[in-house]
Amino acid sequence: MSSENNIIPAVQITDLKKSFGSLEVLKSINLTVSPGEVICVLGTSGSGKSTLLRCINQLTVQDSGDIFIHGHPIGFVQDAKGKLKKAGQAALARQRSHIGYVFQNFNLWPHRTALGNVADALMVVKKMTKNKAYEIALERLTEVGLADWQNDYPDTLSGGQQQRVAIARMLAMEPDIMLFDEPTSALDPERVGEVIDVMRALAAKGYTMIIATHELNFARDTADRVIFIDEGIIAEEAPAKEFFAVPKTERLKAFLKRMSG
Amino acid sequence: MSLLLEGVQTTIILSLLTMVLGTIIGLFVAIVRLRVRKAFAIPLVIYVEVFRGTPGLIQIVWIYYCLPIMTGLQLDAITSVVIAMALNVGSYLSEVFRAGIQAVNKGHIEAATALGFHPGQITRRVVVPQAAYRMIPAIGNVFVSAIKLSSLCSVLGMAELMYQGQIIIANFFRPIEVFTVVAIIYLMMAYTTSLFMIYLEWKFAWVKREKNSFWQKFKNISSSAFSLKPQGDI
Repeated sequence: MSSENNIIPAVQITDLKKSFGSLEVLKSINLTVSPGEVICVLGTSGSGKSTLLRCINQLTVQDSGDIFIHGHPIGFVQDAKGKLKKAGQAALARQRSHIGYVFQNFNLWPHRTALGNVADALMVVKKMTKNKAYEIALERLTEVGLADWQNDYPDTLSGGQQQRVAIARMLAMEPDIMLFDEPTSALDPERVGEVIDVMRALAAKGYTMIIATHELNFARDTADRVIFIDEGIIAEEAPAKEFFAVPKTERLKAFLKRMSG
Repeated sequence: MSLLLEGVQTTIILSLLTMVLGTIIGLFVAIVRLRVRKAFAIPLVIYVEVFRGTPGLIQIVWIYYCLPIMTGLQLDAITSVVIAMALNVGSYLSEVFRAGIQAVNKGHIEAATALGFHPGQITRRVVVPQAAYRMIPAIGNVFVSAIKLSSLCSVLGMAELMYQGQIIIANFFRPIEVFTVVAIIYLMMAYTTSLFMIYLEWKFAWVKREKNSFWQKFKNISSSAFSLKPQGDI
């Protein structure tokens, strides 16, 4: 699709495979994401949604298959002769700093305030001065509506607030693409909305986002494209409206029926 | 009295040396055990189990008397005592450090990884601040034990507190009074260590809920010792 338009895709995944022991989680995943596209990934628990996202930023290393981020293979660097070799820890860390990742369980650092959680990566990874980092961190916290909570520690914040801090932390790094691993699954139902609102606002701003989620309404009206992972492959893939209106496979029909209760 | 003071001095020096060397050994063992494959860590596991599983008295005597016979390497009393105690304390501390490091939530480490932190930066910014705070009470336990362990050095004729006490008893035949005084001095040294640990705990606490003062924290801990009520806010 994108090659026809001569645009380098934001993410290109070819024949991705990953097994844990004898369990084949990803059998063969092929996916191309254009810049600015919002993709929602649906699938039952254990279908490999998280594994796919974790492979994209190499928190999990795939068994085989290639992942290109804006044309660059992640986990590899080119040497002087243009040959690919495995990336060292420093190079891999640099590649990861361009990929935002939001976890299901927020994973905020308990020993840092909301502001500190956002500012730390700016100081450590981007080598900013403390003043500059805190200034940007406060802007990002304001963006997710948490400026008043900047000095609070994570364990005093609600789940929804913690997840918004985690999103602010990711935003501050100005990533090229954003990965969301079931960002609302660990939240109380009444807290889901505030996180969804933040993600809607990001989608409207034109960020490239890949979101594993169980929120069908969010997927329907925010995603450009929805993919359904089943038994380790992308079983179905369509623009959001079409995906929900005319599901083709029986598995997806059953899944949608079960999810919408 | 000056005999006892000399003894106190020796005990303090012995204990401090033991704590410093033991911490270095403990950190080294813990980090190596966490980093290398299981097979390579076996010698360290054996070391930890041997020094935790045998009496400190035997370790001190063994290094002073048996090591020279087996290896021909004769160490003077103070060196062998310090080595034995440091190895003993190091074996306990390595387990404290290992548990503290392992208790850090893997998710916090992954979050830092995903943001582009290097492994060294993750250690400094994420693992150490969390682990250090949680390990302080357990380290305090080991340090207090180290002070009491030093009393065993009297068997090699080290002029520390216990030995000096025994000399006084031999001269004046007042065992009850002297042993009581010696015990009180040990208690004072141990309690000073505990206070220092409470201070460290207060200092490293990331959420300073008792922002007013260190004494508030101290009072809370002291009152919890006499109360069965759960002290939720400490």
